[in-house]
Amino acid sequence: MMPQPNDLVPKWVLGLLNNLFEIEKKIEMSSEHSNLKRNVDRMKELLADQKVFFENPMGERFSETRTDLEATITGTGTDDLRVIDVIKPIIRFGDRALSRVVQKGIVVVESTQNQSEKGESNV
Amino acid sequence: MSNTINFGIDLGTSNSLIARFDRGNVEVFRNPNGFKETLPSVVGFRNDRILVGDQARVYLQRDPKSVVSRFKRKMGTTETFKIKSLSSSKSPVELSAYVLKELKTFVQSGESVDSAVITIPASFDTVQSNATKEAGLQAGFKTVVLLQEPIAASLAYANKEKSVDLKNSQWLVYDLGGGTFDVALVKIQEGELTVVDHEGDNYLGGTDLDALIVERLVAPALEKMGAFTDLVDNMKSESGKYNRLWQTLLIQAELAKVELSTKTSAEIDLGTISDLTDDNGRSIDSLITITRSEFELIVKDAVDSTIDMMKKILTRNSLQSSDLQFVLMVGGSTYIPYVRKRVEEVMGIAVNTTVDPTNAIVIGAAYFSGTREKSKQAIDSRKPLSKLKIRASYNKSSQEKEETFSAKVEGDLAGLQYRISNEDGSYDSGLKKLTARINEDLPLREGAFNLFNFKVTDREGNPVLIDIDSIQIAQGRYSVAGQMLPEDISLVKDDLSIQDTRLEELFAKNSILPSRIKKTVEVGKTIVKGASDGVHIMVVEGPSNRHSSTNKPIGVLSITGEKISKDLIKGTDIDLTFEMSESRDLTVSAFVNGTGQEFSQVFTPKERNVSTQVLASEILLLETKIQAEIEDAAETNNKALASELENALSKVQDLIVNAGAISEDDVTDKKFQIEDQKRKLAQVIFELTSNKRLDQAKADYLETRSAVQQLVRESGNDRERHIVSEMFAREQSFLNSSTPEKILAVTKELNAIRGQILMRTPEFLQGMFQHLMQRRASMNDQIQATQLIENGRRAIDRDDVDTLRQINARLWDLMPATEKTSEEMRAYTGIV
Repeated sequence: MMPQPNDLVPKWVLGLLNNLFEIEKKIEMSSEHSNLKRNVDRMKELLADQKVFFENPMGERFSETRTDLEATITGTGTDDLRVIDVIKPIIRFGDRALSRVVQKGIVVVESTQNQSEKGESNV
Repeated sequence: MSNTINFGIDLGTSNSLIARFDRGNVEVFRNPNGFKETLPSVVGFRNDRILVGDQARVYLQRDPKSVVSRFKRKMGTTETFKIKSLSSSKSPVELSAYVLKELKTFVQSGESVDSAVITIPASFDTVQSNATKEAGLQAGFKTVVLLQEPIAASLAYANKEKSVDLKNSQWLVYDLGGGTFDVALVKIQEGELTVVDHEGDNYLGGTDLDALIVERLVAPALEKMGAFTDLVDNMKSESGKYNRLWQTLLIQAELAKVELSTKTSAEIDLGTISDLTDDNGRSIDSLITITRSEFELIVKDAVDSTIDMMKKILTRNSLQSSDLQFVLMVGGSTYIPYVRKRVEEVMGIAVNTTVDPTNAIVIGAAYFSGTREKSKQAIDSRKPLSKLKIRASYNKSSQEKEETFSAKVEGDLAGLQYRISNEDGSYDSGLKKLTARINEDLPLREGAFNLFNFKVTDREGNPVLIDIDSIQIAQGRYSVAGQMLPEDISLVKDDLSIQDTRLEELFAKNSILPSRIKKTVEVGKTIVKGASDGVHIMVVEGPSNRHSSTNKPIGVLSITGEKISKDLIKGTDIDLTFEMSESRDLTVSAFVNGTGQEFSQVFTPKERNVSTQVLASEILLLETKIQAEIEDAAETNNKALASELENALSKVQDLIVNAGAISEDDVTDKKFQIEDQKRKLAQVIFELTSNKRLDQAKADYLETRSAVQQLVRESGNDRERHIVSEMFAREQSFLNSSTPEKILAVTKELNAIRGQILMRTPEFLQGMFQHLMQRRASMNDQIQATQLIENGRRAIDRDDVDTLRQINARLWDLMPATEKTSEEMRAYTGIV
């Protein structure tokens, strides 16, 4: 039988990583908490030692062959999609050189043609 | 080989599942990509690919000309779905067949899935049922048996509660899924489970409830936080200003809804939504709390409509609530407590939640499949093995983000398809037509080994044998000189338990450069501001399972008392970052948490960096080592070894004199020469003593092994027994190795487990308590000690192991510092 993700990474570890990702996101959005970045990095190191890490796919291309993301399309158009919102990150088990996806990222994607038409940033 | 069908399939409107019956047990399969049990019943045709499931669902409402769903409800009709990219149409039967073929790929054991029980709604008539059978045949099943969903659910219940007797009863099966609602009246007629009546709504399900949350709870809350006009309209319209927000909120609403099934309130954190601004551009960042009662209020009408349908069935069949045994809850949305509560309260019938709502139907179908035999055709058919000749070409290593995989194929290609997927779960080409020449651009993960699977299937989704193994492509940038790292690079740390230093690997031999790693270390001894003493961040090159003295120094970053802005207290963290460039320049950066200072230095392979202070202490350490080994050799009467060691000792003592003669800022080559000589001597010692260390390590291991073996057998828990037996199974491989370090590592693990178990063992804890009691006179706080001992005695009397353990720990803390292990040693690097 294939190794199941719960065999490799327990749910509570995924929960920790998801929350750590959110903390990181909030730090990036406001300049006043930048002193917390070091602690977040340290926690990520400790988790990486245990072979779990997350990745933020913000801005990356999305297409129908990409299976590490659970995507929802917004706006019109379905070609040249890019990730514009990340609700949950991709979580992988392993190390940089060899790993596997244990949690798909949950994202919102939009066609780049749409974005260039819009001009100003809004939600 | 079993002659029963053994596979059950729930071919649902929104989601499908597949399960197997095997000797009395049912196993529900998971998608090898993503590990979900459910497969969305969605098929997409984009860019010459056939996508089924999650991959297709993304494009569902956005690309209606190429992606289809909910075709189940059109089964048996002549209606077809126009597929723009194919310039043709697909029937609901063909689409269902794609879903069935995809479900077959969940079965990875290699067994052939040639027969199945497929479930159908109670509302399906003969034409619709035949269409389902046809879909099964198109998907390559030789035997297809149909089963009504409410009956499948009831079978799942009956098999779970084996003692229940349903013979003279009737009940309702209430199925509220992702997108549809069905309710059926089931009873046993003439010994058979039969659906007597049914009702339903094809457009009511969990997704509608998510939308209600956003529309009726989140949107009004947002309107209070900022200026919004026509918020809901602008969210729901595809070209609306807030459409992206709508999509994000729907996802959040679903997560909140699930949380509300176990908690009485859930939060939607708007702070995690980037660029959330109102009509005036003002940014919004707040928490929206949704209580369970608010949620129940907005979904009440939808839930009541399902209850009305239940009432209709009762009326039509002249039944009272008291005539029904229970209402069996099926479908993901029945996890919602309100649904269960409301049904029970309005109908006055007990709600039965024994079965898992998500997979009850497929489990029932699987149980049923275990009782039905395959048709003779299925048993007899033996497909001729068709073999294809494939010649593939692609680059095995790349520096690009994508590589093209090409192949020439020979053989009978009619109706064949191929599919390439990445083993890590990030890429799936979907099904593509197999032609004589194929090309596929494969996306690569940077700095990683990319492993792809190449599979070929026939028209019915059965695998076709090919002689391609996996496709392996390594992505990475190599050093300018065209070489990878020739040796391990390690950090040197003090190891107080062995009164020596040890190496911690930073970059492994053959690593792809550039590379970067972070490590946090602790200061091992306090450094006073202004002192000439310090901590030394030392990096060496050579096998990481050896010793710093045998390896080549790359550089030392010294943080001395003179450099720090205040005392550096023992135990403070230092965050280290090591960056190695393509040309093997190493940058070491250290952030000292205690003082907030950052130190950094670059070491290039062309310049060697030797600190005379560290060199001197290393040579002294070496001398001590050799002296200890000589004593040891004398004890074991190893004259040959002893004399060789004496030889080495005198050479080391010469070095000490020479090293003493150089000053810290010496600019000649002298220190490099001494360093070389030290290293060579260290290697000699290492080799001479390796056998001894190896034998010692083996002996230690065997001793620990027998102690732990017995202990685990007597007092270990399941997990510990499993870990230990796994270690013993691996024994041969590490005992036969030539590195004592490997053996020591396992011995350490065994000792950790031994410690774990002992700390739970009453006899051990009592012995420890006795030992501490005898030392009470020297404890730091006599009053506390007396109290603890009193409590300890009582804990022993009532066999309270946990309390005794805690008391032992606190008594130990009261012991004067010198009685604990003396960790006084000459620190070498100062970091641990």
